[in-house]
Amino acid sequence: MPNHVTEWLNAYLDGELQNGRLHMVKAHLVECKTCQAELRSLQDLSELLHKVPQPEFTSPERFATQVNLLLPQKPVATPSSSLFELGWWLIPIGLLAAWIFVSTAGIVSNLFSVANNFGLLDSTAAWLVSGSSDAANWTSTLGQFSLLEGNSLQWFKATESYSRNVIPQFVWQVSIAVLYLAWIAIWWARQTRHPRQQRGQPIEG
Amino acid sequence: MEISETEQVSRAQSGDRNAFSELIRTHAQGVMNVVYRMCGDVHIAEDAAQETFIQAWMHLSSYRPHTSLRNWLYRIAVNAATDMLRKEKRILPNSMDDLQLMDGRPGPELVVSEKERIILVQKAVLLLPEASRAVLVLREYEGLSYLEISSTLDIPVGTVMSRLNYARKLLKDKLEQNSFLQAEVDYA
Repeated sequence: MPNHVTEWLNAYLDGELQNGRLHMVKAHLVECKTCQAELRSLQDLSELLHKVPQPEFTSPERFATQVNLLLPQKPVATPSSSLFELGWWLIPIGLLAAWIFVSTAGIVSNLFSVANNFGLLDSTAAWLVSGSSDAANWTSTLGQFSLLEGNSLQWFKATESYSRNVIPQFVWQVSIAVLYLAWIAIWWARQTRHPRQQRGQPIEG
Repeated sequence: MEISETEQVSRAQSGDRNAFSELIRTHAQGVMNVVYRMCGDVHIAEDAAQETFIQAWMHLSSYRPHTSLRNWLYRIAVNAATDMLRKEKRILPNSMDDLQLMDGRPGPELVVSEKERIILVQKAVLLLPEASRAVLVLREYEGLSYLEISSTLDIPVGTVMSRLNYARKLLKDKLEQNSFLQAEVDYA
């Protein structure tokens, strides 16, 4: 008879088949002498294995006493794993703190910029304003060579001033967001790994 | 008042040696059986079982309370038995030559005494590859389901199935080579 079910006979013998596969193997076994013989040989093997006796071990009470004498004073707190766990949970906290810092620094910097634009800051406080140095502005350089004039020069200056504040903030925040998402992905993988193994996959047809 | 195993584990994790001793008493037999079936020597099995519980005590903080303590211990036991076997290679039979019957001629002479049969089967199990032997031991002697073996050894259920199929096939082939299983079947 073609399509023997020998590959499923072990699982059948162990009571691990379900639904369609179980019915298929049962139905096949009714008619197939080859698979019947194979199943019988597996049953014989199992019986034979169980004939190997278990020797007399030390009694559990005595064994427990013996082991107790060999144990270190306290269970090792596995500092490496504890530190790892601590470090692991510090990552999102650190990222959140970094995000708050970057956002706050950006807001404060913008406030100083606005204050500076309105002339509210004197020269001693001007260093607080990021990108306030005209010497460093590329639009000013272009203006010196008359490549930009009038409204265009003003517009480019405003754009440059804005981008000098916004782009670093944007880069920082994207970096933090990427790191945070990576942490969530790893956390999710760690969480799902063990439950999936415990559930396992039912062997069905 | 009877204390639950979860409570005993919790106390042991806090350093309570009496609670851990109680856990040893509960699981000693199972652990010793697993390591004995893995290595086939009582003294080495007891050493491996001791090592299992010492390792369990040392790493108790990494045990997850919602999982099976027995299976966690079995996993440590299988590793301890494997380590012990690597140190004590001499206890394993080297080849099937060790399994040859006294008289190789076909016929009723092949039927050996019950004691000899048992020794031969045990040796045949010890000749299996470690990974397949561990799955066979957990299934045949500890009665773990495929799912439990999967969780204990941290391998997929499909791998449990294939290792078990392989172990039984190899065992059957080895024993049949020695006309032993056939004799068992014929005289059953």
